Amino acid sequence: MRQKALYDALIILCCPSYAGYIRGMQDVFIGFTSITWKMLVMYGIGGVLIWLAIKKQYEPMLLLPIGFGAILVNLPLAIAWEHEGVPGFLRILYDAGIANELFPLLIFIAVGAMIDFGPLFRNPLMIFFGAAAQFGIFATMIIATLLGFDLKTAASIGIIGAADGPTAIYVATKFARDYLAPISVAAYSYMSLVPLIQPPVIRLLTTKEERRIHMPLHEKQSPQWLKILFPILVTMTAGIVAPISVPLVGSLMFGNLIRESGVVERLSQTAQNELAYLVTLLLGITIGGSMSAEKFLNWDTILILAMGLVAFIFDTAGGVLFAKFFNLFLPRDRKINPMIGACGISAFPMSARVIQRMANEEERGNIILMQAIGANVSGQLGSIIAGGLVLALVPLLVK
Amino acid sequence: MDGILEFLRNAGATEQAIGVSVGGLVGVFATMAFFFIMIVVADRFGKH
Repeated sequence: MRQKALYDALIILCCPSYAGYIRGMQDVFIGFTSITWKMLVMYGIGGVLIWLAIKKQYEPMLLLPIGFGAILVNLPLAIAWEHEGVPGFLRILYDAGIANELFPLLIFIAVGAMIDFGPLFRNPLMIFFGAAAQFGIFATMIIATLLGFDLKTAASIGIIGAADGPTAIYVATKFARDYLAPISVAAYSYMSLVPLIQPPVIRLLTTKEERRIHMPLHEKQSPQWLKILFPILVTMTAGIVAPISVPLVGSLMFGNLIRESGVVERLSQTAQNELAYLVTLLLGITIGGSMSAEKFLNWDTILILAMGLVAFIFDTAGGVLFAKFFNLFLPRDRKINPMIGACGISAFPMSARVIQRMANEEERGNIILMQAIGANVSGQLGSIIAGGLVLALVPLLVK
Repeated sequence: MDGILEFLRNAGATEQAIGVSVGGLVGVFATMAFFFIMIVVADRFGKH
């Protein structure tokens, strides 16, 4: 054996072309020789995400690009991310849109242009459910610290409970960049699983009678000036209460102002369609691109995914229990259907649809969709306020 | 206020998380209550 190695060495020394041949062969097979079991697992995870997107239609616009990005970045040598010090296209997108928080903010402009606060203005009481359903964020943050995560990472994990992908990405980028991939995947996966997560929690916490409560529909129309003034005042308030939340709130409310102003319909449509689709596409594949096996395959990822589910359960429970508490003070004929409380999460409009379907299953013809949407849009507001407060409060305690 | 902050800075991560949670929940409810008042006042103002 040693003689053979010595022979090869002499041949390489004497015959450079043979040496080039050997190196060439190594280059040809380097793809095969670089594959590790972790990469294979990541191909499996990418495949599952793509399967969920295509077969189950769970958030396909995000899970499909995330799944493909996860495969792409784990191919041998990770050329799409970086090669020999030169950034690949995924790294360029990451630096241009995630590292500086640009993509989540652009998504917020699009989301703001899609939101109609009209149902909330007709039922202003629903705004409190948008606050109550943020309970999961804080409960999960406490649990995460008990599991050994530091405060900043725990806060980023808790924000999965905002049920709001861009807020989760924004906070994770600020506080726990290493955990960005599992936090984003958890946030978007559980948002798509709201129809499976919420109903059992609601049934557990409410009686059949409570789920059958009818709620009067307010038909009054909100004045246009209120719809225009609201995003401006909300932005100013957020800027005073938690200045660090201004990029989040400001971009959401800017999108909403475009919509409600009524004079820039094309901009509104562009934000709702082209901007939303384009940034979602880039955001998805870039998040997938950050799922390298070394960063993603560890015990912390499993914990984060589990705690994301806990956050959604606590959100739902917080909203429902708050509605039941509220009912203690309301006259018999003005009770709130406690299922509405569950719509205080930010998964819009999926949560409202789930609750309406449940109300209809309990009693045919029970329409609570408008109130549910009111609570749901206030959840969108509540989640960014909560995100902003977390961003403001955590740095006061830890550097 | 400064005393509470100083206490939390020297506390463990869980105590800090509880502090952030209390502050966060109070902050979210207070902010949403402000928006609620804003909407109700605007609605009343709009009727006149």
